[in-house]
Amino acid sequence: MSAEVTAGTLSTPLVDAIAAGRISGRVWFYSNYHCNLRCSYCLTESAPQVQHRELGREAITERSREAEELGFTAFGVTGGEPFVLDYMPELIAELGRRLPTIVLSNATLFNARRLRELEPLADLPVHVQISLDHPDPVENDEMRGPENFRKVVEAVPKLKERGIGVRIATTLEDPAAVDPEERERLCELHRALGVPDEDHVVRPIVHRGRAVSNDMGLPAGFEQLEPELTVTRDGAFYSPFAPTVLGGRLDTDLLVTRATSPLSTAADALVRIVDRAPPGNDARIGIR
Amino acid sequence: MSVTHGRPGGRRAVVELVPRDQAPLLARRFYGEHGPVSPITASLAHVPELLDVALPFIDAALGPGTLGERLKEIAVLRTSALLGCRYCVQTHTAVALDSGLTAAEVRALRGEAELAPAFGAARDRAAIAWIDAVASGRGPVDGVLRELASTHFDDPELVELTMAVTSTAMLNRYCSSLALPTSARTLARLARAGFK
Repeated sequence: MSAEVTAGTLSTPLVDAIAAGRISGRVWFYSNYHCNLRCSYCLTESAPQVQHRELGREAITERSREAEELGFTAFGVTGGEPFVLDYMPELIAELGRRLPTIVLSNATLFNARRLRELEPLADLPVHVQISLDHPDPVENDEMRGPENFRKVVEAVPKLKERGIGVRIATTLEDPAAVDPEERERLCELHRALGVPDEDHVVRPIVHRGRAVSNDMGLPAGFEQLEPELTVTRDGAFYSPFAPTVLGGRLDTDLLVTRATSPLSTAADALVRIVDRAPPGNDARIGIR
Repeated sequence: MSVTHGRPGGRRAVVELVPRDQAPLLARRFYGEHGPVSPITASLAHVPELLDVALPFIDAALGPGTLGERLKEIAVLRTSALLGCRYCVQTHTAVALDSGLTAAEVRALRGEAELAPAFGAARDRAAIAWIDAVASGRGPVDGVLRELASTHFDDPELVELTMAVTSTAMLNRYCSSLALPTSARTLARLARAGFK
């Protein structure tokens, strides 16, 4: 990537694109594709028996160092369920010591041992983003599996007690059409769990992955998604909503590059893609 | 010089050809909105960062340039025939005919007829001698041929001609190794012109 120093700031096309808000400063890592749950709208058709497609601790560490040098400003880790991997608490702490980090989790694997392992995350700029879709256990668990609700409402206060940042993510078929009373009950619930409104995100189900099989969600392609470089074992993608799986096959329509090392190859390609996008592309729906 | 064409098309490619709805972002501009997609494009799309630089390079190397379309097609078809690339021979037989080469010239370039009766112009014959030497030879090109080429082509032209041959050779091995299929449309075009 070409670079020049201007007024004490290292300027590159990527840094400039991040500064201008054309590309997200967060780089995402798909740590793995397997999960202890099997949610009905899962983008990656994740489940216990699927191909793991594990990116690997060493690769995440190396790519995250490159990302930092390139000028990315935050990290994200998602899957699959990242915490099925034993090294995940240590890895998240390592990342969080360098840049603000968010890790997406279903929070159903946070037993006493895992909670102890997560304690170093306290006081770091780290958030565990936990999925909770409905204020009623039965309806929540319909989408996310048995006992999910109970495990989440048990896990969140335990994380908060330990000083660990928690965000709640609610994924809905149509956020605009949700019953206000139901939404209020959900907000009361997350507040009661110690999660303030600013740490509650509501987003639509995206019509990719298992949501396609189940005929759910909103279309989400290049025109709708925000550019957020996303590193997987199979290549670098345009968004964390991009490396989806349908019928066991990885979608490549939002693939940026196959190579992820050096990361600058993928970052440069993402800049080219964003720069080539037609002007006036204002249809993005800001799914994050 | 012996020329092999390989087996006719219609076989399954070694790799899956990426369909339009799965074309990666960097590949989309090469797919266009509609119409057939070259199997070279649809296979390279597996590695979009490679496609993004390879296709513009191929276009530059094999496009008309300063040599003109006729001489470039002579280089591509002759090299493909010498290196036995069935896909490239079939595809560029159609392109060569559409570019104005005669059926007799095309047959000669494919190794199915003598070259001398088909190509009377000294510049064409010098080009073909150079193409044969570059495509089939090992080590430096013979001094006599170098002398002959330099009488008909200046340095930029010789660079362009040599790059056309060597780029075609790369594509010949790529297309043959991956058994890329010739399109039904091209096969029909060849059949109408009496070619396989």
